[in-house]
Parts: sequence; C-alpha cells; structure tokens
Amino acid sequence: MRGLRRRQTVIIARTEVARSIFSRRVLPVLLLVGMPLSLALLRGLFMPEARRANIGHTTADFAQMFFFFYLRFIVFFSCAVLFVKLFRGEILERSLHYSLMAPVRRRVLVVGKYLGGLASTWILLLGATVVIFVLFYVAHGSLGLRYLISGAGIADLAGYLGVVALACAAYGALFLLAGLYFKNPMVPAVLFLGWEAATPFLPAALKALSIVHYLGSLLPVPPVMGPLAMLAQPVAPWVAILGVLASIGVSLALAVRKARRLEVTYSAD
Amino acid sequence: MSDERIIFRGVSKFYGEVLGVNRVNLEFKPGLTGLVGPNGSGKSTLMHLMTGLLSPTKGEISVLGIPPNRPERLFRAVGYCTQYDSFPAGATGATFLRQTLLLHGMDRGQADARAWEVLEQVGLTDAARRKIAGYSKGMRQRIKLAQALCHRPSVMVLDEPLNGLDPMGRAEMIQLFREMADEGRYVIVSSHILHEVDLISDAVVMIHGGTVVAEGGIREVRAEIKSQPIQVLIRCDRPHAVAGRLFDFKHVVDVRILGDGEGLMVRTEDARSFFADLTGVIVESGVAVETVMPADETVHAVYDYLIGQPGGTT
Repeated sequence: MRGLRRRQTVIIARTEVARSIFSRRVLPVLLLVGMPLSLALLRGLFMPEARRANIGHTTADFAQMFFFFYLRFIVFFSCAVLFVKLFRGEILERSLHYSLMAPVRRRVLVVGKYLGGLASTWILLLGATVVIFVLFYVAHGSLGLRYLISGAGIADLAGYLGVVALACAAYGALFLLAGLYFKNPMVPAVLFLGWEAATPFLPAALKALSIVHYLGSLLPVPPVMGPLAMLAQPVAPWVAILGVLASIGVSLALAVRKARRLEVTYSAD
Repeated sequence: MSDERIIFRGVSKFYGEVLGVNRVNLEFKPGLTGLVGPNGSGKSTLMHLMTGLLSPTKGEISVLGIPPNRPERLFRAVGYCTQYDSFPAGATGATFLRQTLLLHGMDRGQADARAWEVLEQVGLTDAARRKIAGYSKGMRQRIKLAQALCHRPSVMVLDEPLNGLDPMGRAEMIQLFREMADEGRYVIVSSHILHEVDLISDAVVMIHGGTVVAEGGIREVRAEIKSQPIQVLIRCDRPHAVAGRLFDFKHVVDVRILGDGEGLMVRTEDARSFFADLTGVIVESGVAVETVMPADETVHAVYDYLIGQPGGTT
C-alpha cells in the first residue's frame, strides 16, 4: 500500500512538472527570471574596464542583487505563479474533479502536487541562479573563471542554491495553501510580500513568522543592509533551517486539512 | 452499514442558505437506476454527494460500505462521469485514460493496454492521440465515459451520459449500460430524455426541489400514485361492446374509444380488480383482443403526475 502511495505521489508530481514547465504556465516565470538574467548580461557588457580586475565588487553586487531583488521578488513571485496554480488552476479550468476522483488520499494529492511544483521551481530557479551567477563573474574573464572553478565561487554558488532551494520549498508550501484557501491568491501574496519587506522593523517574535528572515541568515555573503543592519538580527544557520522547515510543515499540514474538505462547487469558485 | 448497498440516510446538503437536497433517504439496488428531476432539483448534488465531491451537511452515505470521504477506497469501486465538459489542459484521449489507470496502480504496459481497450469500446481509437480540447461534444462525452469505466468499477454514476451523442452513439452506450447492469453492477444514470430512462431503467428515483418524491420500480411507483387512476389501453375489434360492459364496474372512472375505432382507453382506480374483471368481460363479449397494456406506467407519465410537465427537465 505504501508502495502504491509512493507511486501515486510520483505520478502526480511528474504530471505537475509537465503542466508547469511545458505549458503557458511557465511564461510569467520565464519573464520574471529574464529580468535578473538581462541585468547580469548588461552588467557584464557595460562593466568599466577598471572594475574587471576587482572581483570583490562583483561578489558584493551579486549579494545585493540576490537578496533584495532575486530572492525577494523573482523567487517569491515565481513560486506564487507556479504553486498557486496547483489547485487554483484546476478550479479555474474546472478540472479539479479529476484529481479528486482519483483513488488517492487527499494527503497524497497535496504532497504529490507540492513535490511537482517544487521540482518545477527548482529546475527553473536553480538553473537561473547558476546562469546569473556565472554571468556576473565571466565579465572578469579568466580571473572570474578561476574564481568560479577553483576559488570561493563554487562554495558561494552552493550557498545561494541552498537558499533558493529552501525559498522555493517554503514559499511554495505557503502559496499552495493560499491557492486552496483564496479565490484570488495574488492578494494575500502581495500582502505577504509587504510583510516580508517589513521584517527588519518587526519585533523578534514576529520576525519568526517571516521566511525571508530565516533565508537572510543563510546567505553565503551577507548583503550590505545599511541602517537596517541593526534591525536584522540574523539567527544561527540551524535555527534558520529549522524555521524554514517548520513553516513548510505548518503550511502543508493546513493544506492537507483543507484538501480533505475540498468540494467541487465551480460556480461558487 | 451494509457492505453491498448504496445508502443515503437523512442526507441534507445546503450551499450556505440554499438547499441542495433535503433529508434524502435512499437505497440503490444493483441494476440500472434512472435519476430524473427538473433543472436544479438536486440530481447532480446527489451524485456529487455519492462520490465525495460534496460533503453532506447532515446525514450519512455509504457506497458498498465505503464512506465517500475515502477517495482512495471509493474510486476503486466507483466510476463517475460528471456533467462538467472540461478536461486537464493538454491531455489527449490516451494520456487522459493512462493517467487515470496509473493512479489505480497499473504499470505502464497494463495502463496502455487497458486504455486502448476502453478507447476501442467507446469508439475513440482514431482520435486517441489528439488533444481532447479539439474533440467534438460527442467525443468528449465518450472520453468522459471511458474515464469513468476504464478501471472496471462496480458502481457507475453517470450524469447526463447521453448528452451530445448521435443516435447511433446513444444506442451503443445504452447497450453498454444495460450490459453492465445485467452483470450485477450499479449503474445510476441521470437523463432528461425520459423515454430513454424508461427504456433502460430497472428502477427510478424522482427528485424535485431537493426532495426525493418517488423511488423504486416504475410500476411500483405508478401504483403508489392513488390520486391518478391508472390508464389501460385495450386494442380489440369491437370496442363499443367492451366499453358498455366496463361501465358496470365501480373502479372504472372513464372509458374512451380510440380515434381509429380499434380500441379503447380505460381509466381505473383499482388495476388489480380491473384486470380480473376485464377477463370476464372479454370472454363473455367474445371480442378479439389484440393488446391489453398499461398506458401510463412510464417514467414520463409518472413524472408528469408527480412533478409536472417534463419539458424542462434535465
């Protein structure tokens, strides 16, 4: 029975990957990812000759771009687009009943869809992270390549990939939940973006309810926070990882609870 | 709860303050059951409740001993062809069925083989590799049916399954439903075409305003409608001779000679006594009788008596 559930999970996940990556659903994500890619490309093309010899600038620039733009905006909205559609997309297409008529526990359905969304965002966003990171450094020619291959580049890249992977997992679980609860999940998504942006100003207890607070504590190169640095209060990496995992667990548990009560009432949705 | 029946016990469903179905007590038996009622009467709600796509506000439902909120067990036994004319984006006929069968635990080879077998059964082999979005209405109806029956369920719930099918397709599907019912499976069909329900059903459930107004074999249901005398058609060579004698019986309320003069229509309040007395009349008058048959033991007539004109039904 457990084997069957595992197979069902894989089938559902695989289907969601195909729906997310090989359909029009992927277009907004490609547009989003295209922004930092273009930025990295233009930065490399128009980098003043004098800066090409100094890789430290690029490391700092990437850290700023990654935290304030890529993670908070591109990864956030890419996850919103793909994970919200896992259930809400089927409700809008009026095909949710086929998912609910499969001989599958609702829990398996939620987990399968979540893993499908996660695999899709990982493929797209981890891939994009690698390309953007490389584009930032190849502008430095052989110096950049050496940094990427034998310098600290690989370790930094691995750190950023870990943060993106965790961000997809945490935001994904949250947006899957939003897709189950809200008719227009983009409204709570934008509100949550505001909450995430306000994190530095929140008291410590409320910071714990922010995902970016934990992700920021895991960055391989801390961004320059300016006056906000005093308010950031980063946590230890193991606390950050536990915090992210806890948020995933809570979101998925609530999603399973909601999915068990899910009804097909398209006219009301 | 029994393991071999489909039972509704005191089931009500409200959508906010809007009534879906109210205090439904039903028991479906194996065979073909027609579910009839006007638009918005609660037929689809009843089917959704039976298949767990809706949860009852009150009451309990058991499908062969399985509560509908256990899809992992329920949909091994149940196939549901819904009213919705929508499909997963990008699916072809073959991938749609294969996906269903894989989720039932078949391996790829088995799923492919069974998918093609069912596609052939519903006449869609030529279109199997085309996207369902490009199918005609009739083809979409066939693929929905294929999806509902591909895993060989013992309960088939079919919401307007004949919609959009051409006459040949309807005949094929009706035969298929009949075969499944004859195998002892539960086949529950809603249809707005009452004469088709009449032709294929072993029993009917009539629903109106969210309430079940009648259930059972059509003859039993008809017999329960005491307010409407039963109509009997008699085709014979000397209808006037028979008519004169029939007026002697108290239970006969009306006798009309047919327009072609070759028979008569009798309305009686007591069918059993009527048929007993009719035998004597025929023997004594010596008329040659071609046919004696109830004229309103049909879904159409019963529907008309209980619910009203069936023109607007779905």
